[in-house]
Amino acid sequence: MNVSIVPSLKKLRPVAMLVIVVLLGLVLGYWANAAFLPGTSPEQPIAFSHRIHAGENEIPCMYCHTQARLSPSAGVPSVSKCVGCHLEIATERPQIRRLMSYWDNQEPIPWVKVHDLPDFVHFTHKRHVLAEVECQTCHGPVETMDRIRLTSRAADGTAQANHPWEMGQCLSCHRENEVENGTDCWTCHK
Amino acid sequence: MPNIDRRDFLKLVGAGGVSVGAGFMLREANKDATEYLIPHVVAPEDFSSGLATWYNSVCSMCPAGCGISVRTREGLAKKIEGNPAHPVNQGGLCSLGQAGLQVLYNPDRLTGPLKQTSARGSGSFEQITWDEGLDQLGSRLDLLRAARRGNRVAMLTQGVRGHLAQLFDNFMRQLGSQRLLHYDFNHPHTLYAANQRFFGQDRLPYYDLHNTRMLLSFGADYLTNWISPVHHSLGFGESRQGSSNERGRFIQIEPRMSASGAAADEWLAAKPGTEGILALALANHIVSEGNYAGADRADWAVALTDYTPAKAAEQTGIPQSTITRLADSFIDIQPSLAIGGGAAANHSNGVDTLMAVNVLNYLAGNIGQEGGLLLNPEPTSVVSQQQQASYSTLLEFAEAARQGEIDVLILNGSNPVFTLPQASEFREALASIPLVVSLSSFLDETTAMADLILPSHTYLESWGDDFPEPGMGFPVGAVSQPVVSPLYNTRATGDIILALARQMNVGTALPWENMEECIKDGWRQIYERGDAQTLAQGFDSFWTSVLRAGVWGETAAGDSEFTLDRSVISNIGVQAPEFSGSEEDFPFILHPYLSPNFYDGRGANLPWMQERPDPMTSVVYGSWVEMNPSTAKELDLIEGDLVDIQSLHGTVRAPVYLYPAIMPNVVAMPIGQGHQEFGRYAKDRGVNPIEILSPEIEPITGQLASSATRVNIVPTGRRSKLVKTSGTSRDLGREIVQFADVNGVELSSAGSNSIPITEVTA
Ligand code: SF4
Repeated sequence: MNVSIVPSLKKLRPVAMLVIVVLLGLVLGYWANAAFLPGTSPEQPIAFSHRIHAGENEIPCMYCHTQARLSPSAGVPSVSKCVGCHLEIATERPQIRRLMSYWDNQEPIPWVKVHDLPDFVHFTHKRHVLAEVECQTCHGPVETMDRIRLTSRAADGTAQANHPWEMGQCLSCHRENEVENGTDCWTCHK
Repeated sequence: MPNIDRRDFLKLVGAGGVSVGAGFMLREANKDATEYLIPHVVAPEDFSSGLATWYNSVCSMCPAGCGISVRTREGLAKKIEGNPAHPVNQGGLCSLGQAGLQVLYNPDRLTGPLKQTSARGSGSFEQITWDEGLDQLGSRLDLLRAARRGNRVAMLTQGVRGHLAQLFDNFMRQLGSQRLLHYDFNHPHTLYAANQRFFGQDRLPYYDLHNTRMLLSFGADYLTNWISPVHHSLGFGESRQGSSNERGRFIQIEPRMSASGAAADEWLAAKPGTEGILALALANHIVSEGNYAGADRADWAVALTDYTPAKAAEQTGIPQSTITRLADSFIDIQPSLAIGGGAAANHSNGVDTLMAVNVLNYLAGNIGQEGGLLLNPEPTSVVSQQQQASYSTLLEFAEAARQGEIDVLILNGSNPVFTLPQASEFREALASIPLVVSLSSFLDETTAMADLILPSHTYLESWGDDFPEPGMGFPVGAVSQPVVSPLYNTRATGDIILALARQMNVGTALPWENMEECIKDGWRQIYERGDAQTLAQGFDSFWTSVLRAGVWGETAAGDSEFTLDRSVISNIGVQAPEFSGSEEDFPFILHPYLSPNFYDGRGANLPWMQERPDPMTSVVYGSWVEMNPSTAKELDLIEGDLVDIQSLHGTVRAPVYLYPAIMPNVVAMPIGQGHQEFGRYAKDRGVNPIEILSPEIEPITGQLASSATRVNIVPTGRRSKLVKTSGTSRDLGREIVQFADVNGVELSSAGSNSIPITEVTA
């Protein structure tokens, strides 16, 4: 007697196909979003260009991010700081007009945060600036970016775009530079 | 490849498309929410984001006047600490001081001027503008002033010191009113009066707990609320452990063990109100034993004849041997110090009791001695202190209101509806006042009865200054500066007064634009009275240094010599206390005590304080009535049984808490809870024992004799579980607690394998 389960499985074939297609679709959609819309370089309320400011005009980072050497947070320049220059410079450009409308309304510019660390990490700019770590070490080649892109540091020390900071990256740098207490938990988690 | 027909193929394509979309959205939903970096429009000068800035200021949570340092970030207050440079608290801070942040950020704060729209107490308010509010009050005041009827305006404020007090004074004088009343429930009127009579000074002396080796406290809970608790706590620690040669001894005499009693070496319960008799018996023994050698010893012997230890033992319930032992050690262990306060000072014989305490200090030679009691020199440059209104004064005021003599009442922070007994009928008297205005920051019970609310800044948002009482042997002043910008549409109390003055055209007498100017001007005068060294630096640098340090002390100590006026001696004597209610109908004496958490109730709207377990009972959130387990057994009550506490003047209901360290005929209740208003955290929580107090007064000062009420305890048959953090207070055979005689002679223990603690106590 010839017994086979194939005929009965045949009925399941369309269902199996469907499952496979749906799974593939989900993965594809998820990947496509992650690959093409990583959210690592969000659009900003004003198309401010670091390339023009820090690159072409060679304005030092800490001219605007004044607090980096003093404070845990580098600080975003106040609207008045931008206006201080742009009352004179490039006043006719549409982005500057936009800036001036914020100023006229005395409203802050809601910049979208790109580089972020979890709340349980006590990172401080001050320590790193005082240790003469270049801003680019962690933030990537900012002076080449029109729009800021999330960048971290790969294991080989090169900039790694679209990748958030992870503890291993902090640690490898701390190890390389033999930072005092640089690998103790409570140095960053307190 | 199996055959797929066109239809199935299209179906699959469709399903695939949908799932790609779903996958896309899945990822989208998993992304972190966008965060923003919001810059300043104009960079502030006084802070950098991410960096803490500390401002020194003054705590206003109780009258002790400790100095604070407030940590701010991004312009917001984050943490309050004690100012180490301030001589009162030297960096220490009590829990109420810590909770000051919750005054600032309290969600129940009044955020702008309000007007009552229907009946008083209905709670329906409508928002108005400052101009409207100030206009409504100012025009009324102006009319009264012009008609020379300024005395129909009254101002009832919580105890205020410094230049704000002067401003109030000045303002009321311009108005032509004598009715400026400073009122705090806990103001030690009897202590002021007793010291006035004994030392001839209107200011409090400095009690040097730091250096004393033997402290005899007659009812003063100096660690939690007596005058300056943080300072005394420092002193307690210093006396106990600060020097290697001798550990200070602390003896506490009170009917219910307070936190200070628990920290003492010996706790004694004299019958309520007989503490003064006990003190005089000690004095009698000192004199009769020849331990006092002063020229006036014969006078003392005569004055004290009636107060023999034998007789006092009968009256106070303290054994004669204990009395003589205490008297001897008070002389033998030097320096010694006797203080009095709390319930002992709040009986009908309060002033006499505290006089008796002074007698002890006098006979033991503690006056002017380090480790004793130091008379504060006359302050030469600080602002004079304000007289507080007593309970009787408030009754007179209420009567005047009932007689229709008051047109406008301005309230500032004072909450008499809560802190006066119902028997005073104060709430009812308010009804006879046509316009009641409150400057409070919160809708407390009295503010709820106001027609107009012009809310003040909290102390962390305003300019002010303070000259703490008592001085530290030298006068101390501190400037209170705003540590944050005002959060709401409120104004500084001083600014409101100044605006009203301008409206009444008396601005020339009060010429300042705002409180900041007024304070600065006042300090300019202090500066000008300074010595050459002060003057050499110039006012601006003087002012900056005062602000930066948060405190300033006058170095030139005045004369504090003291000779006793002999007529005082013959007037020494303590009568038996009087109680309201007969012993048959009201067998228990009610011992209301200030809650360590809420002070006189003003801290009840702070969730931290509500959450903080009471130090003696560990109860949180509610009210309770403490009774001795033997009393409870007699009444067949256990913990959590709800009872009615009835006095001649009212009834409150609270659960029973069994408290072994209370006299069997005394029941105790904490003050502070039982608010009917005052925001979500305070409202409808517990009961207010002040309500049922009898309007018995101490005749010399007119202070409410708040410990003079007898009550009856009536079980209700209902129960209510007490919320507390401790389990049982009993050992239950676990051998956690070991007992030893204080002299280390006898050791008894519940179990056999006991730890030898004789070594520790010997
Ligand atoms: S004792 Fe406490 S509440 Fe009173 S002023 Fe000092 S810190 Fe403030």
